[in-house]
Amino acid sequence: MVKGLVVFLLFVSLEASVYTENCIPCHRKLPVSIDKFFYRYLLKYSSEIETKFAIKEYLKNPKREDSVLNEALLKRFGVKKRSKLTDRELDSAIDEYWEKYKVFGKLK
Amino acid sequence: MSVLKSWDINLRQSEKKTLFLFFILYLFFVLLILLFISLTYYNLQKDLMLKDKRAYMSSLAKHQIEGLKYLHANFDKLRIYPRDKRYKSAIYDSTYVKIFSLLDNENVNLNEDIYLTGNKIHFIKEPESYYLGTKYVVIEIDDDGIWKKKTYRELFIYGTLFLIISLIIGYILMLLILRPMRDAISLLDRFIKDTTHELNTPVNTILSNIEITEDTKLDPKILKRLNRIKIGAKTISNLYQDLIYLTLDEKVVSKDEKIDLKNLLKERIEYFSLFFETKKISVNLDLNEGVYLFIDRKKITKLIDNLISNAIKYNRVRGTVEIVLREGYFYIKDTGRGIEKDKINTLFERYERVDKSVGGFGIGLSIVSKISKEYNLKVKIESQFKKWTKVSVSW
Repeated sequence: MVKGLVVFLLFVSLEASVYTENCIPCHRKLPVSIDKFFYRYLLKYSSEIETKFAIKEYLKNPKREDSVLNEALLKRFGVKKRSKLTDRELDSAIDEYWEKYKVFGKLK
Repeated sequence: MSVLKSWDINLRQSEKKTLFLFFILYLFFVLLILLFISLTYYNLQKDLMLKDKRAYMSSLAKHQIEGLKYLHANFDKLRIYPRDKRYKSAIYDSTYVKIFSLLDNENVNLNEDIYLTGNKIHFIKEPESYYLGTKYVVIEIDDDGIWKKKTYRELFIYGTLFLIISLIIGYILMLLILRPMRDAISLLDRFIKDTTHELNTPVNTILSNIEITEDTKLDPKILKRLNRIKIGAKTISNLYQDLIYLTLDEKVVSKDEKIDLKNLLKERIEYFSLFFETKKISVNLDLNEGVYLFIDRKKITKLIDNLISNAIKYNRVRGTVEIVLREGYFYIKDTGRGIEKDKINTLFERYERVDKSVGGFGIGLSIVSKISKEYNLKVKIESQFKKWTKVSVSW
């Protein structure tokens, strides 16, 4: 019984997150790394709430004018397709994205 | 005709109180204005100082933003916040959340442009882009406080000058307010002095002639008439003495001597004997032997005369006057109309008369008050309205 529970917990912890499974693979194909997107969002939206909101809105309904990519990259790769993830999955992915690249607590 | 001049102001207690309240109110408004001017001047000086610092701090902010811009572009390699010896800084996002701070004074107001907080000056600048999410860059430098010392010194000097000038103006205003009062009192004083002065010689002539005439054998009816004339003349003489005391005698140096109060009281009762007879007032004397006061004879006589005179004047016909003398005090009690409680306090004021149905100028108790103050005598008035009045003098 206990052994079964340990195996289950190990399985859960090793399970790939929404962010790892759905965001990273696509961005690997792009010449611009995923963290650069984050700092572009930050440059445009400043706060956590506004940044997260802007990313989510873009993923749900991508528009050329809302993209943080520059014109050259947009021409080359175009606007991404609408995400099929649920709101909950999007929130989870964006939260992880934020935690990974946020500036808070990282400056010395 | 000689006129006795006196420029003293005799203000009533209520008038003094009004003037005091005026002065307090005036002082309050002067201080309020001074406070308002001081605060305005202080803020003006502070704004001038901040205006002087603005350009310099703006250049520091630009320098800091350049550092942030570089850090933003290289954040994957570099995590060291840009520092400068000339200033301290902090960065905040658009929701006022602190991203990073090196400030000594964390009391930050992001809605202001430049401001003083404690001994630090903060300057807020918004970068053109939100480098590292920064919407607000706060630059902090030390306030050397030189402007503050200069402002305090100027406020002290000009504030003191303003206060002095205001107090002088206040004093002049008070004099202007007092003027009609002073004029009215001095007019009354001068009128009384002028008229009474002219009364002295004729009254003395009447009294001395009555005394000469009394020695001759007279018809009882004529003697009775003569007594009435004597009472009238004595009343005028007393009034004359009172008024002269108020205008001149109070300024004469007292000749204090040991006075036997029993003898003096008896002498004064004798002096007023005709008055008692006329009103059919009986006198009850209970005077202890050996009670002395070290006092000017004229003044204690004046005090006693005024009290006895009142006891007769305000007594009823066939009333009683009781005079008791003990060690440390004496009192004179009449069976007159009494005094209402609320009027007792105003009795010692000059020209104040409780009962206006009886003649007089209302100066008797004012004289009593002056003499008692000069010799530290305590005068206490007790009364039961329409029954009796008792005036005690203790020492």
